[in-house]
Amino acid sequence: MSAPPTSRQRILDRVRLATHALADPGYNSETAYAALPCTFIVRGQLTADARIHLMIERLREYGAEVVECSPEDVAASIAAQLAASGKHTFAAPPGLAAEWLAGGFNWKVDDGLRIEEIEAVEGVVTAAFCGVADSGTIALHHSLTEGRRVLTLLPDWHLCILRASQVVETLPEYFERCQVPPNLVTWISGPSATADIEMTRIKGVHGPRFLHVILVRDPV
Amino acid sequence: MSQTAAAHPQLDPLLALPFPQAALPVLRNPQLRKNVAHAIDVIQAKRGKLVEEKTDWQQLRQAASAIRAHALDNLAYYLEQFETRCSAAGGTVHWAGDAAEARQIVLNLLREENATEVIKIKTMTSAEIQLNPSLEAAGISVFETDLAELILQLGNDEPSHIVVPALHVNRSQVREIFARRMGLENLSDDPEALTAAARTYLRQKFLTVPTAIGGANFLIAETGSVAVVESEGNGRMCLTLPRTLITLAGIEKVLPRFQNLEVMLQVLARSATGERMNPYTSLWTGVTPGDGPQRFHVVLLDNQRSSILSRPIERQTLKCIRCAACMNACPVYRQTGGHAYGSVYPGPIGAILTPQLMRMQHSQSLPYASSLCGACYEVCPVKINIPEVLIDLRAQVTDQERGRFNRFLDPMYLGMKIANFLFASAWRFRAAQRLGRIGLWFFTAGDGWIHSLPGIGAKWTQTRDLRGLPSQTFRNWWAARTPVGVELKRQAK
Repeated sequence: MSAPPTSRQRILDRVRLATHALADPGYNSETAYAALPCTFIVRGQLTADARIHLMIERLREYGAEVVECSPEDVAASIAAQLAASGKHTFAAPPGLAAEWLAGGFNWKVDDGLRIEEIEAVEGVVTAAFCGVADSGTIALHHSLTEGRRVLTLLPDWHLCILRASQVVETLPEYFERCQVPPNLVTWISGPSATADIEMTRIKGVHGPRFLHVILVRDPV
Repeated sequence: MSQTAAAHPQLDPLLALPFPQAALPVLRNPQLRKNVAHAIDVIQAKRGKLVEEKTDWQQLRQAASAIRAHALDNLAYYLEQFETRCSAAGGTVHWAGDAAEARQIVLNLLREENATEVIKIKTMTSAEIQLNPSLEAAGISVFETDLAELILQLGNDEPSHIVVPALHVNRSQVREIFARRMGLENLSDDPEALTAAARTYLRQKFLTVPTAIGGANFLIAETGSVAVVESEGNGRMCLTLPRTLITLAGIEKVLPRFQNLEVMLQVLARSATGERMNPYTSLWTGVTPGDGPQRFHVVLLDNQRSSILSRPIERQTLKCIRCAACMNACPVYRQTGGHAYGSVYPGPIGAILTPQLMRMQHSQSLPYASSLCGACYEVCPVKINIPEVLIDLRAQVTDQERGRFNRFLDPMYLGMKIANFLFASAWRFRAAQRLGRIGLWFFTAGDGWIHSLPGIGAKWTQTRDLRGLPSQTFRNWWAARTPVGVELKRQAK
């Protein structure tokens, strides 16, 4: 059921009357949009190394744990992180490379896991779409390697694999990488947090309390 | 969880006291003032540091302001675009002319779902239309999931800030509320323990309640997507786990393109909480099979926004992205806190938004709740010239009063009329000065100051002293010292 069509029409009529959008036949919304000022910084200035360094620094400022590894050592690095976590049951999105699912752990691959099953795992391992160094932000577009939204939400511990070639310096550079606007995005900047009580920053409210990142130093 | 019929009577502009009266209890409550000042100092310091590090801050502000102004200038175009794209992606768009219609739409949707419980993300628009009391009255239990909103709901308190709504409550007060309402006698007042208590309290609700209500930070016309900016993950829970999601958004929330977020997200977190980026921002487009709610409704609310849009000076009010930087910077808000504004929108933005939402029929004292210092304009990330709007609204309030018959009983009006009469003639002005000196002599203390005046004069002297009238006017002094003056005086004699 939707609201009576009259409300829609009344609101749009009032808005049109208020903005005189129809008054000037020469006016075009798209042309006006193209003329908007755009003098802020789009392109970053850092070298590739400095960019990765900044990304790591910003992630750590949020309280995320970061380790680096070479492209050959990803599986080994994941195994080491899992072992160090002291946890045993992990969820993984369906598209995650099979060699990343380290042996010796209990894996729940998300081919339609029920909510209770995801709630029951101790951690989750996913890939990412992009990292933004300037704000230490990781963008998940929820592809088959990044998982459904709920998969990186309920488990208390999230290990995210980010490749150096995915890291940009500025937020506008991230948007340049989005050729087609994505349907689903979660931008993550550190673990869940609140400052609602006396402005004291507390790590971990409802989302994962622990965010770990493996930065894979692939050729940039 | 029972609540009284009107959840926020103190913040209902129809019932609220005028600002000067409403501010008095706060001004006399040192604990409350301390809580507010502490919170604001922390945010201000963090914001200042992070804005300084952004070398293109002014360019970002300019772009953000231009994007928002353009979206408003073309609002019907972008709203229709949003509706088309959102519907194509599986969402259902509803339009509500006013608060009552929006409440009815939400209630009907919840009835279709046979909902008895609903989890909520903090949304100012829901507070604006007083949604919670109407849901409770219909027998639906409402669970606020934002930590601050939870504190207020359990403590039967009211929000005093649009980003950190419980900033007036300190940790020992939170401990008392949680211990009482959650039955946790041994709870400590450590914020970490309090936060953990909230996590446990809400977890089961997130996993079981099938219906959620939230707001929108941005609606994207190009894609029909909705964006929600948050910190705790309660938003992600509500946006991901339930079967049905209802998003309530003002019609002004629309942005032309997905890419506009490159500007808005850079200015929003820095302005709101003094972070480079908030922990979580979610964007979704209609319904995604296998991921998140499979029934999605957007309720677009007008509620006077189209009439604000029609006034050229006031239109900029709608550019607001609800970051609260203006209240954090405001010297008046710092002293009074949020409740004195008698509206869910406090601070400078509330002082211009609330009277307009009330069609200038209520909250007329709010445009005067400002020293016009301009700090709000300086920090606003979308460059809303709040002082300019305040002055225009003051003119509207004055115009209303001009037409009122009982103005003749208003001492201020009479005083101005008398002053007008006295100042119009030099003779009358001099006579008034002489009379004034005699009259005020009774109130002037030995130190030459007036510490207390009766009647309307008390409005001045209750907060500051007034210099007594000097025994000699400037004209007398001048006349006694210049040759021309002395000559004139001699001739006059």
